[in-house]
Amino acid sequence: MEKTELKPKLLITGVAGGLAQLVVDLLARKYRLVGIDPRPLPDGIRFPGEFASMDYRSRRLDELFRQHDFHAVLHLGRLPLGYLAKDSDRFNVNVLGTRHLLELCARHRVQNVVVCSSFHVYGAHPHNPLYLSEDDPLRASHTFPELVDAVELDNTATAFLLKHPEIRVVVLRPCNVIGPSIRNRISTFLRSRFCPYSLGFDPPMQFLHEADFARAVKLALECPKRGVYNVAGEGVVPFTHAIRIAGARAVPFAQLLVSPLGLPLRGLGFPLHLADYFRFPVVISDQPFRREFGFRSQITTRDALNDVRSTGTEEE
Amino acid sequence: MVHLMLDQWRKKLVESQLTPELVEKIDQAVNRRINSAGFDPWGLDPETVKNVVAAMLPVYRKYFRVDSVGAEKIPEGRVLLVSNHGGQIPLDGFIIGMSLIVDAPKPRIVRGMFERWATHLPFVGSFFGKLGQVVGDQRNCLDLLSREEAVLVFPEGVQACGKTVQHRYELMRFGSGFMRLALEAGTPIIPVAVIGCEEAYPSLLNIKPLAKLLSAPYVPITPLFPFLGPLGLIPLPTRISVRFGEPLRFEGDPDAPDTEIDLKVERVRAAVQAELSEGLRLRGDRLFTGSGAHAEATVETDTANTEVVETTEEKVIPGDGKN
Repeated sequence: MEKTELKPKLLITGVAGGLAQLVVDLLARKYRLVGIDPRPLPDGIRFPGEFASMDYRSRRLDELFRQHDFHAVLHLGRLPLGYLAKDSDRFNVNVLGTRHLLELCARHRVQNVVVCSSFHVYGAHPHNPLYLSEDDPLRASHTFPELVDAVELDNTATAFLLKHPEIRVVVLRPCNVIGPSIRNRISTFLRSRFCPYSLGFDPPMQFLHEADFARAVKLALECPKRGVYNVAGEGVVPFTHAIRIAGARAVPFAQLLVSPLGLPLRGLGFPLHLADYFRFPVVISDQPFRREFGFRSQITTRDALNDVRSTGTEEE
Repeated sequence: MVHLMLDQWRKKLVESQLTPELVEKIDQAVNRRINSAGFDPWGLDPETVKNVVAAMLPVYRKYFRVDSVGAEKIPEGRVLLVSNHGGQIPLDGFIIGMSLIVDAPKPRIVRGMFERWATHLPFVGSFFGKLGQVVGDQRNCLDLLSREEAVLVFPEGVQACGKTVQHRYELMRFGSGFMRLALEAGTPIIPVAVIGCEEAYPSLLNIKPLAKLLSAPYVPITPLFPFLGPLGLIPLPTRISVRFGEPLRFEGDPDAPDTEIDLKVERVRAAVQAELSEGLRLRGDRLFTGSGAHAEATVETDTANTEVVETTEEKVIPGDGKN
């Protein structure tokens, strides 16, 4: 038992999500884990460490930092759209929660912080060059208030990175992360029988297998570099081809749903804020991450797309 | 069902039009960068390229009887093709792209930089994308060059595309952006002249107020368009020739002041003009007749062409004096 005491301690947020569970599996042997999430753990999932269900704004988080001496904090949890009824509530949990968490990291001198953002923050703008770099403006919130929290979370994390040179902060902006155990929008779409796309538009997209992203998070935790990094998979594939490879039928209605005609259909849960991502390319360059962290995606784009449907999937 | 029929039809088209050697050539040109899903890093789809080449080969060979000269001068690796522009639709870009696939000893995929507004148009943007074309953005251009691609630019800009027929083959002012990119990427420049495209849609008049209203770059009136409706969209069967010049190499600071850059730009412009004049001289007044291959032999003795040379060369001078 003495040996476990020597293992460094990690705090991981969002452990009820599919992605964090993969990261947890990768790290469980090397680290002692503490997991938190505002959501309860899904049935049948056993967290290999201490789990607490709490809002990231909660005072209980302060207590957690007082009790444990964290070697690193992995902030992987951003509440998805639709989890809380009101957008303002989600904003509070995601942005104020992140701020609270990072403040605690600074106060308790946590050495390493990894924050998971998303490529969505760049925004789907028709004038985007292919291969956006980390320095490009974050335009996502210009058109869609639903994405304000994503952009604000990213801003909070990058500001923290600049303000605290003594802490090793890594902000990851992955492309579409897909896989059988992840329940984000894009994976759910690709898994369903019919996947909407915008007629006449077929932007190149990037996909990263969940296992590859879990490896990227582990690299970010263990490599002695700091900064903001895009993380992408092997190659680009136009959206309708991606749908076909994943085994869904492409239905050209995405644009219709956004138009006033689609008003009665909106209850079906189509994320309107993603409509532009179905029309214009948001392709990111991951060269710096590959160069500085030695990251190589091990699962090809085709295999990743083929894998979204594989068994063991628990759909909501 | 419809999909399957279309697929079969496409397969037949490719088989009937493309020789196995040509298919091999296309594969050679694209295959080195194709990912597991079958696309290159800019979204090029080799199948779309094959379909388009198969569908357009008769147009290229039989309708426009394209004569391609000098494609062997294009070096391997990164290269910037600089061409004249005209003819209302970017037919010249298409001709250059085709000629570098079907007529070049070493086939290349030409990366054109299309106008930003095309990204808003349904079908157009995605179709261009699958042919390996990218949005006209300096970053895209540098990215492509640094990955050893052949990029095509029209430094006269989109306005030149809309010039009326009496101004055909008058090179307009060249923008200097391409030169800075070439210097930054250490890229050789190939001057290119396309002759024949500028008469395929002879624009008599550019209705500028209407263009402004539609926020289009220009609205042309040709003998056939818009009076003949969709028929007016058919280009005239001009004989087209495309000429590639010797590679030009430049060295210097990409951030040099405009005066310095403009001198280099002017050298490229002169080289394009030289190719253009030579092509016009060889063509003479035989706008619609003859096949490309015979042009040189028959026109050499033609007296009418001397006139053309003089007029085009005169036109160079004001441009030279300006800088």
